[in-house]
Amino acid sequence: MRLEMGTFPVRDIVFGRTTRYDAGRLTVDRDAVLAAVRQDPRIASAELEIAKPGESVRIWPVRDVIEPRVKVEGPGVCYPGICGREIATVGEGRTHRLSGMGVVEVSSVNWHDAGGDFVETFLDMSGHYGEMYPYQKLVNLCLVVEPDATLNEEVKNYAAHKAALTVSDQLGEAVRSLTPPEREVFELAPVDPSLPRVVYIWCVHSPQAMSGSPTAFCTATYGLTQLTPPWYLHPNEILDGALTGPYRTAFAMSWTVANNPLFLDLYRRHGRDWNFLGVISLRTEWTTQTEKQLMANQTAKLAKQLGAQGAVVTWDAGGNEFIEVVRSIQACERLGIKTVFLTSEDDATDGAPTMLEPLPEADAIVSTSFFKNVTLAVPEAPAVSRVIGLPTKIVRRGSTIGLHGGVDGGTLPTTGPLPPPWRYDDHYGFSSLSCAE
Amino acid sequence: MISAIYNFALTTGANRVIRGARIEHVCGDPTLSPEKDYAFGMRIVTTALQTLTIAVPGPTLFDPMAPGKT
Repeated sequence: MRLEMGTFPVRDIVFGRTTRYDAGRLTVDRDAVLAAVRQDPRIASAELEIAKPGESVRIWPVRDVIEPRVKVEGPGVCYPGICGREIATVGEGRTHRLSGMGVVEVSSVNWHDAGGDFVETFLDMSGHYGEMYPYQKLVNLCLVVEPDATLNEEVKNYAAHKAALTVSDQLGEAVRSLTPPEREVFELAPVDPSLPRVVYIWCVHSPQAMSGSPTAFCTATYGLTQLTPPWYLHPNEILDGALTGPYRTAFAMSWTVANNPLFLDLYRRHGRDWNFLGVISLRTEWTTQTEKQLMANQTAKLAKQLGAQGAVVTWDAGGNEFIEVVRSIQACERLGIKTVFLTSEDDATDGAPTMLEPLPEADAIVSTSFFKNVTLAVPEAPAVSRVIGLPTKIVRRGSTIGLHGGVDGGTLPTTGPLPPPWRYDDHYGFSSLSCAE
Repeated sequence: MISAIYNFALTTGANRVIRGARIEHVCGDPTLSPEKDYAFGMRIVTTALQTLTIAVPGPTLFDPMAPGKT
């Protein structure tokens, strides 16, 4: 499986009469793009706005950030399966991407209506809070979209995200037939057999248990989010967006999954520093001990079958999902596969461990710091001049409010100072924050 | 302690750990009829209460669904 990735760096976005890319400048025909979005009868309203790095702009609510990618040669479409898109196996041929930019999905739609999960991320294009996320450095085209209010929550999710993907597709079409300024070839070519064989165990949350629905919206594998046994994914499938869609944290969005620095580094150093075997993607939030242990066993078995001598492990969630993740590490180690675990940490309240089940086999851990903004003592984000999206935000989680004053469940104007969302949680090592030894 | 993730209860030092159904319904099963769901829940809770009369040397797992249990 060979994939050529053509990159078109975007340094500026403007609205104009035709959608086109020219030497780093992306011109967007706003009316044409919005007309494509509004073709879906489920969409009640849609607007486009531009947010640039350094501006005093806040975007709220941020459901997802998408990097436009378009399949130029080879089977399938980029971001396959999600929201009813084609499910042909991707990863072959040529793909073009618009780097340095994001299509931001701005909508009031919540993940599901079972409670407990809320859209909490807002993005500031300047200031200390926004600096914590990679999106502040992007030129962002924001789709402010609301589906028909009478639809159920699951359909609203699909409509809102499909609308954002429609924008992404429209931009991708502008570079389909152009010659990319940058090219990179990705393939798992045969390498020196003495190099260590390494697999990436990429754990992703399933909303099935929390929502009670096997089709609830979340980061999806070819569109599927339900609890399934571990998948083997060729890394080229990931580059074409086989794993895509947002989860509730700011670092689990389509853009961060597609640009995961750990994954890209594992792939780019294939044949030089190690033999990269590909990705085992484990769905998490199984709800019995037996299921969690079974998934851990099967993940380790699959890694062993692939010939892995080492495994790098990440996850994108919290709470009980830690069990199947850490037990996968334990199961790998017991089969002789060395592991490294990249994770954030809980706060050490009353001397408790910063990890839910600190097993002795998980002895090589890279910390991306505490997962709660309150533990990190992140100050509130200052007032801004312009808001893209909704004028107010309901503030969730007393733990965050405790730091900044105010009432849990209270409503604040989004132009004013805002407490950061409850979670920070850098799943893939984008930032330089780490632990206190 | 009644827990669906019973190993975690054992390693954190709960002395009497009773295996529950699932995280989202520890003492019940919504796929059963109301009568059977009630009986299922009672079996778990009754087991839990019975274990209070049993001396244990340390963290011990009790399975309400083990063969021979009534």
